[in-house]
Amino acid sequence: MRLGDIGDKLRQIARTAREVLYGMTTYEWVQGTKRERAEVENLFLLISFGDLVGLPILPPYYTLRLLPYVVPAINRWKRSLLRERDWTDLTDLIEGID
Amino acid sequence: MNSILVLIIAAVAVVVGYGWYARRIDRDVIQPDAKKATPAKMYMDGVDFTPASRNVLFGYQFKSIAALGPITGPIIAVQWGWFPAMLWIILGTFFIGWVQDYGAMMMGVRRDGDSMGALSYKLVSPRARTILMIFLYFYLLLIMGSFGNAVGKTLMTNPKVPLGMIMVVLMGILAGQMTYKWRKDIILTTVVTVVLTFVGIWLSTTKPVADFFTGLYGLPESPVWFLGNTRAQVIGTLLVIIFCYFGSVMPIWSFAQPINYISFWIVSLGVLGGILGMIIWRPGMGDFPAFTKFTTASGPLWPMLFVTIACGAISGWHSLVSTSGTARQLEAETDALPVGGGAMFLEMVFATVAFLTATVAFGGLKGYQDAGGAAKALAVFSGGLANFLSHIGIPKEFGTAYGSVFLTIMALTIMQLCVRFMRVASAELLGEQMPVMKNVHIGTIVALILTLIFVWVIPWLTIWSAFGAANQLMAGLALMLVALWAMSEGRKHTWALYPAGFMIITTFAALLYLAYDNFFVKLPKAATPQAGIASVLVGIIALVLVVAASFLIYDGWKALRKPREKQAPAKA
Repeated sequence: MRLGDIGDKLRQIARTAREVLYGMTTYEWVQGTKRERAEVENLFLLISFGDLVGLPILPPYYTLRLLPYVVPAINRWKRSLLRERDWTDLTDLIEGID
Repeated sequence: MNSILVLIIAAVAVVVGYGWYARRIDRDVIQPDAKKATPAKMYMDGVDFTPASRNVLFGYQFKSIAALGPITGPIIAVQWGWFPAMLWIILGTFFIGWVQDYGAMMMGVRRDGDSMGALSYKLVSPRARTILMIFLYFYLLLIMGSFGNAVGKTLMTNPKVPLGMIMVVLMGILAGQMTYKWRKDIILTTVVTVVLTFVGIWLSTTKPVADFFTGLYGLPESPVWFLGNTRAQVIGTLLVIIFCYFGSVMPIWSFAQPINYISFWIVSLGVLGGILGMIIWRPGMGDFPAFTKFTTASGPLWPMLFVTIACGAISGWHSLVSTSGTARQLEAETDALPVGGGAMFLEMVFATVAFLTATVAFGGLKGYQDAGGAAKALAVFSGGLANFLSHIGIPKEFGTAYGSVFLTIMALTIMQLCVRFMRVASAELLGEQMPVMKNVHIGTIVALILTLIFVWVIPWLTIWSAFGAANQLMAGLALMLVALWAMSEGRKHTWALYPAGFMIITTFAALLYLAYDNFFVKLPKAATPQAGIASVLVGIIALVLVVAASFLIYDGWKALRKPREKQAPAKA
């Protein structure tokens, strides 16, 4: 095995270890933050573009000006908002229970 | 038997179990396709459905499934002797544990990221989803009771523990502030908060601090205050309840998450130090018997051993994490085995280390019993860990306090999230009929009052068995779902069906035993009203779970017959 190969292998091991450690430590924290942000975004979209999911809201002029910026997020938002949920979906609130 | 030999046996089980059996099922039966789009890619929303690297998910899955369960179960189970406990940890994981975790994950991936509730509804019956909710609620209530009991009434009554626990909480809050408000680097935040936590744990072993809590608790002979609980136990449990209250009502970023983060470092450094100390020391089991007797304080070996060690061999909770959490983040189907199966086999090793703290760290059975035995499993672990740590130069006094804080914080991080979940669940369930339940504080207080009843009234070993049974019923249901899903796809399904049958029959028997033992043995002998209430409570819970499990078995049987009836040739 060449010295370069050993170096590559070591780098790969270090990357794997770093990723596993990230998964064990801050990943959950990051996910939680993303979830909080998504909830606020969902709420904002609901009050400004609720008619897209059947909520009878007449979009005001300023809301319509936001439309081009909101278009990329519409699919994600509708999927997230209309997805059926039950208690078992809430289990991600309590990871690491066992 | 020597500890190193036990570790080698566990390593062989991993190599054969994961490298041969699990890979064979994955390759020949499930046949994952690396090119097939997973729910994480199809429904990517940047939050629940997000593709992540298999290494990251492996770490996430392991951290999600390995907490106090794999530590406590084996320490209680060695009361039947080391051999049955070790055998169940290894064979349970080999034939059942990874099957459930991996099977549930693949099922989630192939069924569009459906959660366990939706899968029960679709694959078994609408009633199965309701039954799963019943299992889940009791599971959470019992976990609160058992962990609250172990921490509040055992660990926290040690005057050298409370300050360490308070320091972890304060450092967690500081970590939240440093990260979100002051935007400090995570490495700096980690170093500052973890070092200060260790300073706090050391301070808690100093004389003035220990004297303060000794006086507060009225030790050494702490007077009985309430329902047979001593002043130390009442104060200890109230500290736990206060912590859980804040964990439930405070924003998750400012309290629960950063405390979880700090506790990860405290716990993993302790585990690594303990393993290192054990490898240097290489102790044997001494006179610890391979088998003690068939019936112990927890009941007969079959079925009670199989619900006593849940996490570490097979745990129903993992199926919820695998479906609602990890299955929605897998980048490729081929990642399911290393993530789901791999994390479960690593948990088996973790459970083996906990098993060794009970069997080798005290030199034999008498040492284990003197340290507290099954009735004080967490005290056994902290004492055993201190013995291991002493072989890398850490004083035993500090090691015991460290082990106790480590376990306390491990339990508390789970309990605060359970209360949070119970608060949300009760608001969802009762919010329409009782709007007051939607109030964050009321929902939390109701959950905490229920917890206090369980903690103050029910003995630890009894509550642990009931908790294990609720958990294993979820495992039986999850395995049944995996078998049904494999059948629905026309794949071989016996690898999941036989484990499902074993788990359901065993857990059903355990619940019947618990109901019988509490109503017909313990209740007539109850010396105090408190003991009587405890027997009635556990008996009722066992009966409710028996009834729910009966419906589940009936619905499951009907669902299993359905695909066969479809396949059967039409009658002439």
